[in-house]
Amino acid sequence: MIAQQIINAVSLGGVYALLALGLAIVFSIVGLINFAHGELMTLSGYALLAALVFGLPFPAAVLVAVSCGALAAVAMERVAFRPMRGASVTSLLLTSFAVSSLLKVVFQNGISARPQAVAMPSWMTGAFSFGDFTIGVGPSISIVVSALALIALELFLRRTVTGTAMRAAAEDFNVVRLMGIPASRIIATAFLLSGLLAGLAAMLWVAQRASVDPLMGFTPVLKAFIAAVVGGLGSLPGAVAGGFLLGIIEVLLQATLPAAVAPYRDAIVLSGVIAVLLVRPQGLIPAVRVQRS
Amino acid sequence: MPKLYRLHRAALYAAVFGTTVAVVSTASAEEIIIGAATAQTGGLAPYDQPALAGLRMALDELNAKGGLAGKYTVKLIIKDTRSDTAQTATVAQELIDAGAKIMITPCDADPSISAGQLTQPLGIPTLTLCGSAPVLTAAVGDVMFGTYPADNVQATAVADFAVAEGKKKVFLLTSPDSTYTANLPEYFGKVFEKKGGAVVGRGTFTMGQPDFSAEITNIKSLADQPDLIMTAAYEPDFPAFIQQLRGAGVTIPVYGADAIGTPTIKGLGKLVDGVVYTAAGYAEPGSKLEAFNAAFAKYAGHAPESTYEVNGYEIGLILDQAVKTAGSDDPKAIRDAIAGLKDFDGITGKITYAGTDRMPLRPVALMRYEGGEGKHIQTMIPDAADVPAP
Repeated sequence: MIAQQIINAVSLGGVYALLALGLAIVFSIVGLINFAHGELMTLSGYALLAALVFGLPFPAAVLVAVSCGALAAVAMERVAFRPMRGASVTSLLLTSFAVSSLLKVVFQNGISARPQAVAMPSWMTGAFSFGDFTIGVGPSISIVVSALALIALELFLRRTVTGTAMRAAAEDFNVVRLMGIPASRIIATAFLLSGLLAGLAAMLWVAQRASVDPLMGFTPVLKAFIAAVVGGLGSLPGAVAGGFLLGIIEVLLQATLPAAVAPYRDAIVLSGVIAVLLVRPQGLIPAVRVQRS
Repeated sequence: MPKLYRLHRAALYAAVFGTTVAVVSTASAEEIIIGAATAQTGGLAPYDQPALAGLRMALDELNAKGGLAGKYTVKLIIKDTRSDTAQTATVAQELIDAGAKIMITPCDADPSISAGQLTQPLGIPTLTLCGSAPVLTAAVGDVMFGTYPADNVQATAVADFAVAEGKKKVFLLTSPDSTYTANLPEYFGKVFEKKGGAVVGRGTFTMGQPDFSAEITNIKSLADQPDLIMTAAYEPDFPAFIQQLRGAGVTIPVYGADAIGTPTIKGLGKLVDGVVYTAAGYAEPGSKLEAFNAAFAKYAGHAPESTYEVNGYEIGLILDQAVKTAGSDDPKAIRDAIAGLKDFDGITGKITYAGTDRMPLRPVALMRYEGGEGKHIQTMIPDAADVPAP
């Protein structure tokens, strides 16, 4: 049972890590906490549903959905955030809230307020067993996808020119621009990556929830925000660490709290977050250039 | 920033018109204003909207015949509560100010109670569209009426069925986040234990929680394995729970109540095979409900999604009858008339308020998903002696 709960924790933590990373990439470059990140997930979810309805095979539908998330993120930057470039952190934050609310209403009125069932292929609800414990296919996919995405991102940031430029931009954007690298490209890439991560996270999220609804982005972006803050805002390794920490704490509490205390789970988790921040105000792994919003 | 500006302006216009378009001038002599504080957006919208569509259909039909009791033309004012309890109170106040003599509230206890706090001192009869928590009416007072079969009645019907099926051990999954999700499984547990069953475990979830794996692992590791899981979780939590439960290789049957009788849950197909739920009625061939479903499809352009539509329609019929009995549009007289309703012939069966705590006595249909379809098991009115106190 303990092994089982560890797998549960890693699987949930992996999804949180992907989400927090999506927020952190954008924050590290432009100093924006994009609260519309969750709506990118919702959009990917609907794209998956639409692709499946149009009869695309499952892998192709996933590909379409993730690309939709990435493109939507770039479009979001172009339409909503580029005109605000250079604005104060507060203005950016409010803009992202506005985009988020707007998209939620569009989804509700344009598609349906009712969650739409997404029929996942039956092999995804399967499970395989080792001796007396079983691992679900869903959680296993979550773990593998999260791990691969983290490795791929790491390689991109370490091994490519754009990646290096992004890491440099996170430390000192002005110097990067003096080196002749266009700011727009760096920022667009940051949004593209964050959209890709949102799309991937959405697939894992939808696979576990079997439905898409207009408000589904709210919880994940909140968790991602908490994870990113705990990890150290703007720090990519921090976001990953924060995501896993949050996932592990949540599963651990759910598994061990007696029934009478269980309703206070979220309160306990958030108290833990405050405790971490009291000890390490800059987060677990602080960003090189510390920003605060 | 022209683009941004345009978007904002559009949003502003939408907000302004969305809340004012329905507002009308003061009522004429033979006009009665019904205020509907209901969710057009947010988590309750999928429940409020079908019920409201049914109510509108009834009121349109009644208005074509001269209005309530053939005399009072109904002016229905609809305002969006955004599924928010505080916002419900705000729009309820606006509706009262607009002259509402009857109030319709959302499909959940908490917002209905917040609206009821305002209508109670004024004596305005208040009916929840499909809020089914039996504590709801007592929490507000004598103006508050439930319309849908109450949670404790539904739970008793499901428990009676589970016992008859030979189920012995149940696991209750609740969420303290709403009266419905917190209490309905517990009512089930009470009846189940009284009839010889045992509650072998309890678990909780937070509404909107992404991950049920820890809870599911707890269920799997119970020494005394349940042969049934009872929950009042609904979408999007119910699909998430059952997806992850089946994904973890657990095949224990899961039973719920009315909130999972929706197209979303039906759309889950094989995943929900064997899930038992409740409805306000079942359209037997030749029944009034079947005729209603056909008429609704013609009216709305799509078939009813659930029995919330017919429930909303019946609210219209109940109001018509109440105004007839009251012989006036005085809110207090209408309230008394609703409270005295006995064996009223609705579409789904007989509806009685007389002698109740303003939660109606009415039949409950038990349904089961099989192969992506809702199959009727039986329709029953549980024995009042079996129904646990709220």
